[in-house]
Amino acid sequence: MPDNDNRADVGQLWRSWLTETERQWNTFFNDIMGTDSFGRFVGGYIETYSQVQRLISQNMQRSLSTFNLPTRSDIVDLSERLSTVEERLASIESALKTLAEAVGHPTQTASVTQLRPRRTRRPRSQPAQAQ
Amino acid sequence: MDVILDRESPVVGATPKDILYAKGTQRLYRYRPVTDEVYRIPVVLVMSLISKPYILDLSPGQSLVEYLLREGFDVFMVDWGVPRPEDSHLGLEYYVLDALPRNVEEVQKVTGEREINILGYCMGGLLGLMYNGIFHDAPVANMVCAATPVDFDGMGLFRRWSDRRWFDLDRLVDSLGNIPPDLIFRSFEMLRPAQRWAEYARLLDNLHNDLYVKHWRLFNKWVYDQIPFPGQAYRQLIKELMWENKLMKGQLNIGGRMVDTKGITCPLLHIMAEYDHIAPFDSTQPLSTLVGSEEKEDIILKGGHVSLIAGRNAWTRVWPQLSQWLGERSV
Repeated sequence: MPDNDNRADVGQLWRSWLTETERQWNTFFNDIMGTDSFGRFVGGYIETYSQVQRLISQNMQRSLSTFNLPTRSDIVDLSERLSTVEERLASIESALKTLAEAVGHPTQTASVTQLRPRRTRRPRSQPAQAQ
Repeated sequence: MDVILDRESPVVGATPKDILYAKGTQRLYRYRPVTDEVYRIPVVLVMSLISKPYILDLSPGQSLVEYLLREGFDVFMVDWGVPRPEDSHLGLEYYVLDALPRNVEEVQKVTGEREINILGYCMGGLLGLMYNGIFHDAPVANMVCAATPVDFDGMGLFRRWSDRRWFDLDRLVDSLGNIPPDLIFRSFEMLRPAQRWAEYARLLDNLHNDLYVKHWRLFNKWVYDQIPFPGQAYRQLIKELMWENKLMKGQLNIGGRMVDTKGITCPLLHIMAEYDHIAPFDSTQPLSTLVGSEEKEDIILKGGHVSLIAGRNAWTRVWPQLSQWLGERSV
């Protein structure tokens, strides 16, 4: 955009050039990446990635077992067991709460459940109905 | 200098909230209402499995959550968390048949209201659609889907790269468990290879503009803050949707339950972006035609996947329209 002296705004020209160049490069790469041969390349890459990952994982597991150290799967097992314990605790807590309410001794509610705003709001354009 | 040294990382997701329910990595948050009077029907934000949920609560003044609270909504969020290795077996059955109904029950319990509004962003919209398409008696009063892909024939390069002729999906999931965030991030980045460098050039051009730099850092933090994708859900997504496009064909079956989107009759607001490269327009556009709702409205914006819900387009156009649409239907 020209300034007051009718000179071209170099900054604006540069910004337009950047946007256009970005668009052109994206289109160029997208055209290449949209071909079957690139898709096949991605497939090959993913396959190699998976194989390398599996190999490293197996070797690491073997090495850790040799040194009598916990492996990733040991830790995952432990975490799964911990999750089960957490879930059981939650269900016991919930059962106890229900029981307490049934015998007329409601447990202390968490602050979040105490938030009780009036649920009577109406949109600005909609007048409130007479109660 | 802070940008170069990555100092003082911007604070995100700061709107005050409480955990209402937790299971595994999943959390149901209730944001603290800021008005004495709220709309009768609460809003439940259902997030994507691909990214972190703070895109809807970036920073004060730039947060959809904060905006909705100020507009008088009671806002909840279903955050799936960061899947752990032992979560790799979690499939769509868990998210749609187990977790979502349980979270809805918790919202009903705490608000004392039977009905809820669902607002799903990206894959969150897809999960909401599946949930609503299976449970036709679900208490969903209104549904909002933003940047939600439904027609996977329109997924462009993603579809090409995951072509079953050369993409060994089972080997990938069996070897890795969860799909690593780096793999997902690179695939997004490959959709617009020149974007990152152009963004750095624009940042240099705007270093004097504090607001630009602040926004740049916020969005970049989110973009690079990727999470793993649960393996089994990824397997189903590719097989059932990317390869077979079963949602569009009305053949999607989750845990023995058919997803019948024509059975969705609640009002639907569908927000999509014309230049969305993550969920391309061709993949999101047919959503309204899938549902049986009589009352449905499409909003099409010129922006991209993120600016749709968190950029300037969002603040000036989407949020006010969303608030008005939901407000009129939430009394």
